[in-house]
Amino acid sequence: MDSTTVLETVRDETFDEFVARAGDWLAQTVPDRWRRQRGSLTPAESDQIRRDWDIALYKGGFAGISLPAEYGGLGLGLAEEIAFSVLAGKAQAPDGFGRVAKVLVAPMLIADGTADQRARYLRPTIAGETVWCQGFSEPEAGSDLAGVKTRAVKVDGGWEISGRKTWTSFAQHADHCFLLAQTDPDAPRYRNLGMFLVSMNQPGVTVHDIKQISGAVHFAEVHFDRAFVPDADLVGEPGQGWKIAMNVLQHERGGSETAARYVEIRADIDLLLSSCADRPELQNEIRELDIRTELLRWQLSKVVDLEAAGGEAFERAVSILKVLWSELWQDVTRLGVSAMVPKDRDHWRYQYFESRAVSIYSGTNEIQRNIVAERVLGLPR
Amino acid sequence: MSVGLTAPGDIGEAVAEAIADMVQRATNGAPVSTYAQSDSPLTWQAIEDGGWDLIGTDEDAQLRDLAEVARAWGRACIQLPFIPSLLAKRHSGAAQAESGPVSFSVPSATLPESGLVPYGQLDLKVARGLGAGVDELAEGAGGGPEEFDILLRGARAPFISDFSPEAARETAVLFAAEAAGAAARLLDDGIAFVKERQQFGKPVGSFQAVKHHLANALIDAEMAETAVIWASLNPAEAYRGSLFAITRSIAVGELVLQAHGGIGFTWELGLHFLLRRMVAARDLVTGLESAYA
Repeated sequence: MDSTTVLETVRDETFDEFVARAGDWLAQTVPDRWRRQRGSLTPAESDQIRRDWDIALYKGGFAGISLPAEYGGLGLGLAEEIAFSVLAGKAQAPDGFGRVAKVLVAPMLIADGTADQRARYLRPTIAGETVWCQGFSEPEAGSDLAGVKTRAVKVDGGWEISGRKTWTSFAQHADHCFLLAQTDPDAPRYRNLGMFLVSMNQPGVTVHDIKQISGAVHFAEVHFDRAFVPDADLVGEPGQGWKIAMNVLQHERGGSETAARYVEIRADIDLLLSSCADRPELQNEIRELDIRTELLRWQLSKVVDLEAAGGEAFERAVSILKVLWSELWQDVTRLGVSAMVPKDRDHWRYQYFESRAVSIYSGTNEIQRNIVAERVLGLPR
Repeated sequence: MSVGLTAPGDIGEAVAEAIADMVQRATNGAPVSTYAQSDSPLTWQAIEDGGWDLIGTDEDAQLRDLAEVARAWGRACIQLPFIPSLLAKRHSGAAQAESGPVSFSVPSATLPESGLVPYGQLDLKVARGLGAGVDELAEGAGGGPEEFDILLRGARAPFISDFSPEAARETAVLFAAEAAGAAARLLDDGIAFVKERQQFGKPVGSFQAVKHHLANALIDAEMAETAVIWASLNPAEAYRGSLFAITRSIAVGELVLQAHGGIGFTWELGLHFLLRRMVAARDLVTGLESAYA
């Protein structure tokens, strides 16, 4: 569909019609090779399918669901975003490379970008043509994000970036990185950073895979050695980087991420329910996890229903999503691996190690709890 | 995933708001400890004048709506048989015809020999059958007082009321909803306390260990509320959801009690009145589940 047709369709349909259209589209569009033979794909084949998926989403009219229509999104809400995420999970749709682009970069450009940056970047970002990674964390700046040491040095016509970013998802596939760097090392903390849109396709940028404990490679370390950014790709003013970063992260509600995780966790719980039906000693624990899984879904429904009214009830309900799903999944995989079901041995061993990361990345759960306590419950810093 | 699934209907929302207002006017937000062991800050007449005890007989009132009302009521922990009366009048014609408060005798998990009548010490009528058995009222509980749950003013009864499966489920869900409301109250009290209380020259709420207790209490309170919603909309999950909600409400109570430090475990401060309420609710919901699920 072209973008005008998409917007007209979306404008005229109810939520249920949107859901029905999404379900039909997913059934027709998810590549069979991905659904059935994912394990036998080469890394290059798998990457190609994931990259193509972002483009298919855009062409099908399902990219940027909750982004404003005037900026190339569909102009819908959290409800549609979450519903689509659940359907995509159930349809075993590929996870594209567009998460950082659509969840973080597009909202940032809409909030703080120049008209020129929006004109150049928004459409290809939403359309899946430009893949983004997030250059925030550094070896010495994890939870203490304001401590980034990467330097941006003013040169003629732009800036030169030097430093090391780590735990960077999608770096191996990214065309651009949105990156926090020090613009003024002498300025006070929180006012010494700038936000840059850095091309990854230049000689000063090197990407090294980071292999995780599960054996999978989802992250990378990225070295910047005098990588060049033109003036036109500084977002906001030098010194405003921290404010812009916090603004972006606050907008990231985690609803669609939680929805996708719900589908995965549900599948894991269903596996436990079926494979451990003859294990009475595990039944109480499985029942408890089963309830928590269902309540994760109902919590999301509650969030959706509270969104329109906003206010304290909504903020409370939405603020706990990441802690909820991550700790639930860890509890599920812990039970899965300890149940030692021979036929599911490889699955649980992989899931167990994979799930150790989820209470750490995207803001550790300790930081998440600080945020809940300080920003939602209003406790003193 | 659907939209509008979790919200109560208009009647639930409106009555819950009215109840919250009424309770606020009566207590002015005073700590539960200021009235727990004396007279109710609210008269039964106020409930009857509003017609709130008959709200369950309105054909628009779904269990989800009543749960919203019970949650609003549960925040205040007022020692009046509002929720039992609401349930009795919803499921018993004899109770409906009675203008005053009515309770019923619930099977209790820890009192195998007798039933427990919530507010039975207040000497009220007790419905013998809720949608099952004989639809008549008994004069009083007929047994000795139960002292554990001070707010519940319970009394033992030599009989257990007959519940239809639906009435039993609804009773379980509304007990859980009251517990979730009490948990929300405890959480807010805990937040207010740790902002005020100073140690080491600063509010204890500025320490990360305390912050995490309160963040965990929020998670538990949210889960309790969501479990009540789930239980109220899925009859097959009524007991599982209600017990989960009560367990999480108790967890809120434990965390908030810890956050209060030394005065948290004093009788006088009164956090225990709400925690006792929750422990008693678990006992009754488990009893109902054993008898009727």
